[in-house]
Amino acid sequence: MVESGIKRGAAELVVLSVLENGALHGYEIARRIEQETKGSLHFTLAALYPLLYRMEKQRWIRGTWETSPNGRRRRCYRLTATGKKKLSPLRKQWAELFEALHRLAGVCNG
Amino acid sequence: MADWQELVRQRLAGIQLSEHEAAQVAEELASHLEETYQALVCDGLPDQAAVRRAWQQVNDWQHLKSEIEIARKKEPPMNKRVSQFWFPAFLTLLLAMVFLMTIEELGPKPWISPAASHPRMTPVAVVYFAWVITLPLIGALGAYLATSAGAAPRAVFSSIVFPVLPYFGFFVIGLPIAVILDDHVAHDITLPALFLGLGAWVVLPAVALLAGGLPVHYLFSRRRPRRVVTA
Repeated sequence: MVESGIKRGAAELVVLSVLENGALHGYEIARRIEQETKGSLHFTLAALYPLLYRMEKQRWIRGTWETSPNGRRRRCYRLTATGKKKLSPLRKQWAELFEALHRLAGVCNG
Repeated sequence: MADWQELVRQRLAGIQLSEHEAAQVAEELASHLEETYQALVCDGLPDQAAVRRAWQQVNDWQHLKSEIEIARKKEPPMNKRVSQFWFPAFLTLLLAMVFLMTIEELGPKPWISPAASHPRMTPVAVVYFAWVITLPLIGALGAYLATSAGAAPRAVFSSIVFPVLPYFGFFVIGLPIAVILDDHVAHDITLPALFLGLGAWVVLPAVALLAGGLPVHYLFSRRRPRRVVTA
């Protein structure tokens, strides 16, 4: 339970952080995460979309259909004002968690 | 070339979403799979291997289906507001009113401010101390219900002090209007007497409610695990 909770909390932070720089569609979100973490984090379709839909329900992100120049329809996600507000305390909580783990178990965050 | 949309639609058959929503989800997932496939082909993977690898992103479509259903299920926003604010607020109001009426009926007698003994003053400062003593319990109950429903501090605060709102409305809006419109209301209510009434019926009960409610809110909000590790 705690493990899945940690994963979900981390996943939310990751998605919010990636969307901080602009709107992306699902595939791009997954690719950007993988690129920016040099493959350490990998979001499969099965992991990504339930998370995106959940975050959308919480109104942290908003998805809108857009048509690319080649005619492909994609759902692009962007941060909402609520999502932007959520990002900073989430970052702080994770920093605190890593700090605590570092003190307790020698897990290094740097 | 695979018809990704049709294949995804087949795998999502029976999903508990509206037809329109199910079609949109299928389109979105199919688009993701197709882009994955195209990227793999661009990387030099043979067609069949790329298709296989793309499908490997989902091990269990039944599980994904139920995850999507849960994630997209619309919770009526009222439900949350009801459990976080309206229910605790009206319960505290109801309890406060019932307790007050019971005490008015059965006693003990209220304390009446000395100003009321003046023949030309309206007795606005009537304090039922027995009632005030019960208010921390009512405030604590309101705070507990709102906090355990996950209400924000502002909603918890409003639920706690909700029982004094009718009195606040009376002193701030009702009484001045009554003074202007109703001949039966004494027109010589002095400003200090008005403030005394506000203190007795608004400030004092609010303090009593908060005295019970705030510690409970503090206690239970600390006990609630932080979202980052329990979401």
